[in-house]
Amino acid sequence: MLEFDGLHKSFGDNHVLDGVGFTVAPGTMFGFCGSNGAGKTTTMRIAMGLVRADAGTVRWRGRPFDHESRRRIGYMPEERGLYPKMKVGEQVTYFARLHGLDAAAAARASEEWTTRLGLGERRGDAVEKLSLGNQQRVQLAAALVSRPEVLILDEPFSGLDPVGVDSLAEGLAEQVRQGVPVVFSSHQLDLVERLCDAVGILARGRMVATGTVEELRRQEADRRLRVVVPDAPAGWAAAVLGVRVVSEQAGDTLLELADGTDDQAVLAAALRTGRVTHFAWRQPTLVELFREVVASPGTPSEAAA
Amino acid sequence: MTAPGTPGSAALVRLVAAREVSTRIRDKTFLISSAVILLLVLGAMVFQVVLAHSASKLTVGYVGDPALGAALQAQGKAVGADVTVVRLADEAAARRSLGAGDVDGALLDDAGGSPQLLVERSAGSSLTATVQGAVSSLAVSRQLAQAGITSLHVPKVGLTTLEPDADRTGERAGVAIIGIVVLYTLLILMGQFVAQGVVEEKSTRVVELLLATMRPWQLLAGKIIGLGLLGLAQIVAISVVGVAGALAFGVVSLPGQLIGTVLTVVAWFVLGYAFYASVFAAAASLVSRQEDLASVITPTTILLVVGFFIAIRSAGNPTGTLATVTSFVPGLSPLVMPVRMAAGGAPWWQVGLAVLIMLVGVALVVRLAGRIYAGALLRTSGRTKIREALRAERV
Repeated sequence: MLEFDGLHKSFGDNHVLDGVGFTVAPGTMFGFCGSNGAGKTTTMRIAMGLVRADAGTVRWRGRPFDHESRRRIGYMPEERGLYPKMKVGEQVTYFARLHGLDAAAAARASEEWTTRLGLGERRGDAVEKLSLGNQQRVQLAAALVSRPEVLILDEPFSGLDPVGVDSLAEGLAEQVRQGVPVVFSSHQLDLVERLCDAVGILARGRMVATGTVEELRRQEADRRLRVVVPDAPAGWAAAVLGVRVVSEQAGDTLLELADGTDDQAVLAAALRTGRVTHFAWRQPTLVELFREVVASPGTPSEAAA
Repeated sequence: MTAPGTPGSAALVRLVAAREVSTRIRDKTFLISSAVILLLVLGAMVFQVVLAHSASKLTVGYVGDPALGAALQAQGKAVGADVTVVRLADEAAARRSLGAGDVDGALLDDAGGSPQLLVERSAGSSLTATVQGAVSSLAVSRQLAQAGITSLHVPKVGLTTLEPDADRTGERAGVAIIGIVVLYTLLILMGQFVAQGVVEEKSTRVVELLLATMRPWQLLAGKIIGLGLLGLAQIVAISVVGVAGALAFGVVSLPGQLIGTVLTVVAWFVLGYAFYASVFAAAASLVSRQEDLASVITPTTILLVVGFFIAIRSAGNPTGTLATVTSFVPGLSPLVMPVRMAAGGAPWWQVGLAVLIMLVGVALVVRLAGRIYAGALLRTSGRTKIREALRAERV
């Protein structure tokens, strides 16, 4: 388990982190969301030992990270960390060597990872000559080349085109399949929703929600049922017990059900009006969940992870 | 795949140093500046050779009695000029040789009593002295022979030099000045490299990746040692080329002294580099963008420039108060002391003391610079104040 436990951090009077904690199981991907300045980068930098926490620890397999065990983390900083004028292959080799691979193993690993990430042709080019997407891949190669046990990536998808996003996502998914816990921060919530096993939402230095996307949805209070009944007369649903009509337009009805109301009773009522072309719980997207939790301070909702 | 081990400090420092060397050795700035310094040193030497050559070498043509040729040769030796004598057929041949630049002057002796010296534009003093001396000595010996006197006692003037080392001291000071120029240039160049490297790592955030694998002091040590070895290799290469050239061209009269001065300069380079590289690194760590670099390294650069000018002045006055005092000041001593040593004006105890003070200075600067560097390295917003860096938490 990769555990972030009760992290506190202040820069002067500014309380950036106020008890941030979450857990990432091996072989899962954790999406770390939050508005700008919420403290995502600080949290990751604490894990990397680049910032010292005022309180709290980050543990891996039950032991707090120290200088030695941090070598086993693959890390991508928020603003990219590569030597612009160094060649791709040499650069990846260099980082492998810094992580303790000997010269021959580092060269092999560098060749392997540049090839796997589709950079084989560009190995002899200076990093600054590459497109942003390819630079991102070099960054990932530098993070993966030492076969890290843990991956911590700060905004790995920012600035990538959809193809770049897909190939990076595939690269990360492969790491997850091999049992590596992956934490990444992102503003692209649709991406987080698609890729991540678990999500954590950070707002004003606190975790306002953690859990799987499904869990977050389930605990969301105002879930709505959308029923499309083209032939139904207006007000068809108002008669059903425990149902409040949120909106109704030419048979396209949005309903809110009181606790304990059977959605099957609603379906039966709908069928009585004629054809039912759509009957589904409207799934709030992560974006909506995000807006919801970020907008309402003071009520951190914790789902069992 | 080999399981990654944990590299020790030495291994990490070596890796960083190796990267610095391999990056810079392919760097255009480095290659061009190396070539320029080498060319300047060679140029200074060629200049010396040409100067020495043109000052003392004379080719004199003459028309007439072969005895005149012998007299010219002897007279040239007497006035200290390296004279080559050429016999020419007639006046027309003499004018041709002059026109072609084969001879510096042509003496026409009509055996009468009015010899003429033909020159292209003007006659140098050594040329007229040689020719006039030869003509008069020949005339005197002829007239003596006619008078029946065949031998004459002429007392030879003895020579006593009051300052036997004046020439050599001048030569050593000259070598020291060239050495100082090279040393100064390399200190500035290598200092800039250190500073740029530090800011590059900060501005690109590579430093965040690096610090996940090593401590700030390991990164700093690797950087300074790597570039230092490169600078040392450069100054040694320049020295070897310079000394070899000087010996080959015969520019210097005392090869032992030359080599001694060059070794002194190299040794002071090592001390000076350790000092300035640390200061440059600490200064550079305070900013996060290359554009801001100039503002933080300028004070250090000014110190170097001041040291350089004092050193050049000291070459003219190596025993003056300015030279004596500044040769003990850490930071200035690497530039001033070699000049004093070359000029022979520095007793050994003073050199020892200056080295000792400089070593203490280096130790203090390295410690302080290390702290500033470690404190400022991760502060990537704008410019960090020295006090903030010293107070900052080190991770």
